Amino acid sequence: MKTLSRNLSKQEIEAFGQELDQIRTEVMAKVGKEDADHIKKIYRVYRYTEILGRGLIHFSFDPITFSLGTGLLAISKILNNMEIGHNVLHGQYDWMNDARFNSRTFEWDIVSDAKQWKFYHNYMHHTFTNVVGKDHDYGYNFTRLTEEQKWKPIYLTQLFSNLFLMFNFQWGVGGHGPKVEYLEKPKKQRTKRSYKDYRAVWFKKIELQLVKDYLFFPLLAGLNFPKVVLGNLIANMIRNVWTYAVIFCGHFTENAETFTPEEIKNETKAEWYLRQLKGSSNLSGGNLFYIMTGHLSHQIEHHMYPDIPAKRYQEIAPRLQKLCVKYGQHYNVASFPKQFASVWKRIFAYSMPDKFALKIMESRNTKARQRVKFQVAETIRVEEKELISV
Amino acid sequence: MKTLPFIYNQPKEFLASLQPKQWADFLLSEMNPLFSFTATKARVIGIKREGSDSRTLVLKMNRNWRGFRAGQHVPVTIEIAGRRVTRFYSLSSAPGEKFPTITVKKQAGGLVSHFVNERIQVGDILEVGAAQGEFVLPSQLPKKILMIAGGSGITPIHSLIKDLSQRDFKGQLKLLYFSRFRDDIIFYDSLAKLEAENTWLEIKHVLTDIKSEKFDFGFLSAEMLNEFVPDLAERLVYLCGPAPLQTSAKKLLGDKEVISELFLLPNQTNTPSTSIALKEVVLLQSHRTILLKGEKSILDELEDNGIFAPSGCKMGICHTCVCKKVSGSVINLMNQKVSGEGEENIQICVSRAQEKLELDL
Repeated sequence: MKTLSRNLSKQEIEAFGQELDQIRTEVMAKVGKEDADHIKKIYRVYRYTEILGRGLIHFSFDPITFSLGTGLLAISKILNNMEIGHNVLHGQYDWMNDARFNSRTFEWDIVSDAKQWKFYHNYMHHTFTNVVGKDHDYGYNFTRLTEEQKWKPIYLTQLFSNLFLMFNFQWGVGGHGPKVEYLEKPKKQRTKRSYKDYRAVWFKKIELQLVKDYLFFPLLAGLNFPKVVLGNLIANMIRNVWTYAVIFCGHFTENAETFTPEEIKNETKAEWYLRQLKGSSNLSGGNLFYIMTGHLSHQIEHHMYPDIPAKRYQEIAPRLQKLCVKYGQHYNVASFPKQFASVWKRIFAYSMPDKFALKIMESRNTKARQRVKFQVAETIRVEEKELISV
Repeated sequence: MKTLPFIYNQPKEFLASLQPKQWADFLLSEMNPLFSFTATKARVIGIKREGSDSRTLVLKMNRNWRGFRAGQHVPVTIEIAGRRVTRFYSLSSAPGEKFPTITVKKQAGGLVSHFVNERIQVGDILEVGAAQGEFVLPSQLPKKILMIAGGSGITPIHSLIKDLSQRDFKGQLKLLYFSRFRDDIIFYDSLAKLEAENTWLEIKHVLTDIKSEKFDFGFLSAEMLNEFVPDLAERLVYLCGPAPLQTSAKKLLGDKEVISELFLLPNQTNTPSTSIALKEVVLLQSHRTILLKGEKSILDELEDNGIFAPSGCKMGICHTCVCKKVSGSVINLMNQKVSGEGEENIQICVSRAQEKLELDL
């Protein structure tokens, strides 16, 4: 068994980290009008697709205009969540000092409270990426994707439960908010007392979203009420499936590695960079595809520089790939269908006990890495012996 | 109403969450960049050069403009390299004129003043806030007035004099205006015209850096003041200009009541403080802890660290940067007051970290 990345010495890791810091300073110096114009352009498309989409659904009498409207509304929601929402909430555009693109004032079109999401995503997920037990995004608590999660019979159903989650992904994203905040925030920093108080924040957002999509706009349409409800439901569902697919491709592909809390103790920034590289995977595609994924197609770059305006990932990617070649690291990139298929393969494999799972999957966890380290050391020793005997 | 508590308990917040204002603003600005539901915007319809390094922008305001009193200033927001930056500028026109104007003089190292002087073109859109400030005429016009201006401090005074001329002022007004050299004088022609038209007005230009024929030379002194206004005691004094002028003027005028205005960032006015230790600042919303020196304002030091909190004027006027301080004490840069330890709202642009802080940012 072998990992795809070479084991690096301490000095190599630090050098690797310094080169990444260098890229960061260089790219950050370029951030300016170009990025502001990009996000404003996306904002316009998002607003126009929503007007057009909702308008078409409201006044649709035939299936063609109805599906066109639903599709446009879905695109609008995807842009709002991915290229605008996700990136703005990371604080990528805070420097613009524009309330529309400020991580402290932005609220998005999804049943997840932005502030709660920022805690469990920006802090928990991005700091403890792929650390089993710490990263609550890892399998969303009900999917087993590595041997470090103990097998239970319930995991046999995870193919079906994931299919269900795919269509209702926004509820998974939102439901995480209050729970993680309650579990992980140190008692001193908590602004609310009980879990119920945290849940109330989420419920408020749910009420807003449900009333907006399934009461307010349908009522505006009058007699077209049921059609608007249906259109909104389908648009939300398309958005759910799309975001699920993109996000699961980010960390749960076949070669994305996992880590244990013990392993990241006293981790340096450079080691953190390396962990982000090993734990994330990219999708290849074109500019339009990148924007629809909110540049999560560049998951690796995003995890290394979560606060650089996302469009810049496109220019960082080739530089990072060169670095990976230099340091013998695996840069996990493949087409969307390929990566998504490997996600399902992994979900399927780990739904079974380790005995069967490891027949389908190579393990990519801490133990596997340590075994390799050991093996490498051994082969070198053998070679030395041979040399002596000759 | 147990099923819909949000709508029932906070109907206004609920409606606001549907973003009606954002929608209106978006649609209006798509029709015409000047239109807006909430923001006061202005289109630059004319640009005039004043002196060697100043410019007057003639502005056409949108419907949200509520007018102003002579001598007041407005926050002006301009997008520079994608970033929205706000500065305060005095209006230099009289309220009676159809199109208000602002006049901006290049400041050494000034981002916005250089941008206005070099890049702004006719047709550009600026965002303008509501007019404010107490550098205005009293409701009962005084008989005798003395105005002392220095450099760009002439802008609100120009507005006041123009206003007085339109209101048919019956008293007597003397203006003492300090500039660095002849070409540095702002509104030279306009002031000359006002002086020619109005018998109650007397203007004296003084140069401070380079001598020129027919112009007085030197800094403000007791003799100069005595010679120009022997009846100083009877006059109401308006004072606007750079800090050194204001300090010396206030010393000469003693305990006489002076209406004055000074635009300076707090960091410029105060002697820089040196701190011994780094202060830990916990940002609760972003889940980050950073170390600040506690020498400049919290906002400036955060920006040095790459954290951009919402901000506006950066001089403690507009309250855009207000944020909740959960614990720790800060020093207000405007009056050097030390705040309490507990929870309160602070303006981070004029507050300096004094000890470990927890901010809701």
